[in-house]
Amino acid sequence: MIVFDHVSKVYPNGTVGLDDVNLTIQDGEFVAIIGRSGAGKSTLLRSVNRMHDITGGTLTVGGTSVGGLRGKALRQFRRGIGMVFQSFNLVTRTTVIRNVLSARVPEMPFWRVVLGAFRKEDKMTALESLDKVGILDKAYIRADQLSGGQQQRVALARTLAQKPKIILADEPVAALDPVTAKQVMEDFVRINREMGISILLNIHHVELAIEYADRIIGIRAGKIVYDGPSKEVDQQVLDAIYGEAAKEEATA
Amino acid sequence: MEPTIRAAYENAPKTWIYKLLLAFAAACVLAWSSSTLVINSTSGSGLEVAGNILSGIFHPDTKLLFNFTTSGVAYLLLETLCIAFLGTIVGAVISVPLSFLSASNLMPRPIALLGRFAIAAIRTIPAFIYGLMFIRVTGPGPFAGLLTMSLCSIGMVSKMFIESIEDLDKRILESLDAAGCTTFQKIRYGILPQLFPDFMSTLIYRFDMNLRDATVLGLVGAGGIGAPLIFAMSAYRWNEVGSILLGLVALVLVIEWISAKIRTKLTRG
Amino acid sequence: MKLYDRIFKPRQYTLPGGKTVEEPFTRLPLILLVLLVCTAVSVKVTGFNFTALANNGSKFFDILRSMFPPKTGYLPKIWQPLWDTIKMSILGSFVGAVLAVPFAVLAASNIVANRAVVFVVRLFLSLVRTLPTLVCALIATYIFGLGTMAGTCAIAVFTFAYIGKQLFELIETVDMGPFEAMEALGATRVRAFVTAVFPQVLPTYLSVSLFCLEGNVRYASILGYVGAGGLGLIMNEKIGWREYSSVGMILIVLFVTVVAIEWVSHAVRKRLT
Repeated sequence: MIVFDHVSKVYPNGTVGLDDVNLTIQDGEFVAIIGRSGAGKSTLLRSVNRMHDITGGTLTVGGTSVGGLRGKALRQFRRGIGMVFQSFNLVTRTTVIRNVLSARVPEMPFWRVVLGAFRKEDKMTALESLDKVGILDKAYIRADQLSGGQQQRVALARTLAQKPKIILADEPVAALDPVTAKQVMEDFVRINREMGISILLNIHHVELAIEYADRIIGIRAGKIVYDGPSKEVDQQVLDAIYGEAAKEEATA
Repeated sequence: MEPTIRAAYENAPKTWIYKLLLAFAAACVLAWSSSTLVINSTSGSGLEVAGNILSGIFHPDTKLLFNFTTSGVAYLLLETLCIAFLGTIVGAVISVPLSFLSASNLMPRPIALLGRFAIAAIRTIPAFIYGLMFIRVTGPGPFAGLLTMSLCSIGMVSKMFIESIEDLDKRILESLDAAGCTTFQKIRYGILPQLFPDFMSTLIYRFDMNLRDATVLGLVGAGGIGAPLIFAMSAYRWNEVGSILLGLVALVLVIEWISAKIRTKLTRG
Repeated sequence: MKLYDRIFKPRQYTLPGGKTVEEPFTRLPLILLVLLVCTAVSVKVTGFNFTALANNGSKFFDILRSMFPPKTGYLPKIWQPLWDTIKMSILGSFVGAVLAVPFAVLAASNIVANRAVVFVVRLFLSLVRTLPTLVCALIATYIFGLGTMAGTCAIAVFTFAYIGKQLFELIETVDMGPFEAMEALGATRVRAFVTAVFPQVLPTYLSVSLFCLEGNVRYASILGYVGAGGLGLIMNEKIGWREYSSVGMILIVLFVTVVAIEWVSHAVRKRLT
């Protein structure tokens, strides 16, 4: 369970990232965060695993207060949370399986990390994760030979190999074409349903968010302006989230 | 699910054998070459010598350093700077035709290969042999040094020139063709603007290197700061070495800083 | 350059539409002036003299001519110093390249957050780089005695400084995405570096090291001149005795070796990237 309690974030240059956010996300939910660029979607997402620090309020994930985590405790905490990025963030020069195996790195002895000598059980975990996203046959191919959609699946397999309880996805489909984007969203749904992993993603495409997520959180200038089931999102809600600009763009 | 994964695990390419062999080969080569590590120090312990050298270098001879006659550090540095500068320019003048001849996208293959062979041959002869050859022509002094520098620059400069020439973007020529340009116009507006920044950047870099390598000239008495430096070293006058090195290091750092500035300006516009 | 614009006024163009565009006056005259002054000073200081070159130019080939035909009988005596030169280059390049890694990592501002550490390490690398290799070799001969050990040391120092700079620049231009992903899944910075950054720089690092090895074989021949072993040693000796035909033989062997090593390293480097 993720609980935001009066969370706020002000950047050193004075920009307000989050403004008094109150939010509770239960285990196993599929939540999409929507909003305009710079509204604070990314800040919200990244504060969950403390890739960004918050400056006010408390944020607890699974009973742990995130704000006080440092060093080893923070890394231990991050082990339980997967993260997927817009640009996939793979080491494209190495094979797919090596990328997935990198999720096991924090738990290995250092000499194994340096030599790249992974144990059999780690390799099996990695292969299983690849199988779950349907690209088992690509395991020994270099990551740069895959298409964008396949690369994002490798990134997804990497998070699965970490055996997380929550997956955070920062614009996971923004760099993909519409068809591939749908396929990746379906992967997220499957992982959410079959493995019971909570999914929290931010996304530009409103239609995709409404189609695949159970719950939508609309954010504007660091404030939550909508929080409810995706079925109830209508034009009025979108106006509240995107402002008048959205309408103009829609008509133009 | 389980059998497919097991199969995938077992089908993993066996790259480790290849890697192991490679590592073994590398280890063998290293072991073979480690026979060079023989200490045959004749006079006292090496550490003591090193200590003397260090203390000398850190107590530079200030008299020499602030001597502004022709035997002082300042003048020697100026001379070195001039040798490196003119050496680079003369080297560039020779390199330009040579690299156009060796560019495989402009010239037929045999000519390009011949050009490359010539460049490789020029590079092989060590600087001090060129120095000796030029001293016969000009007598000892900075002029011989400058000629040596220019021949030594050719190898690296023409290699970089060839790379820029072979990376030429030919689509620009196509668009100039479409606009009805003559061959000369194509070279002037299609090729030169592409090559100029690269060439300049290479030359500035080479100038930097020449300045650093100029000490070699001192070996054969071809001018610059090398000779006094080597004399001072072989006479164990470490304070003098210190002051010369101090001047040289400062000069090289300043030139390096300036050249880095100019080169980023050239590449980013 | 504000001052320059005040002296040479930018030209103004007014378009038919009434808009104005300012074209700054070209910098070409200034650049040409600087180059001309530098050239003039250099010609004066170095005593550049075309007539001497034209009159005595043929003497340049005196030594070259006396190198031919090369004395093939000298060949058997070349092998040992040749192997020494190659060994010195390989070991020196290896030691230098390995030592350069930790320093390059510490000098990369995207890996090390501490500005002071980055600055100090970079300064150190620059200082080592400005130290002439010849000076290194000479000092090494005083410490380790005449011989290949000194040459190996000098090559290692040179390689260390060169690769150190190349590598830290390489690390700074690496894609930091995978590093971020590793931090997000709870890896320490060191582990994130080893798994996310190192594989990205490894091929280029090896390629640069091989390139350095190529150059070092050539460089090792100069080092012999100050007594640091290898081909340079016998070359110096034969030049002293004016046995230029033997020198010619040495040069041919060196040329073949360098071309062979370049060819091998070129083939390997092509496979790396």
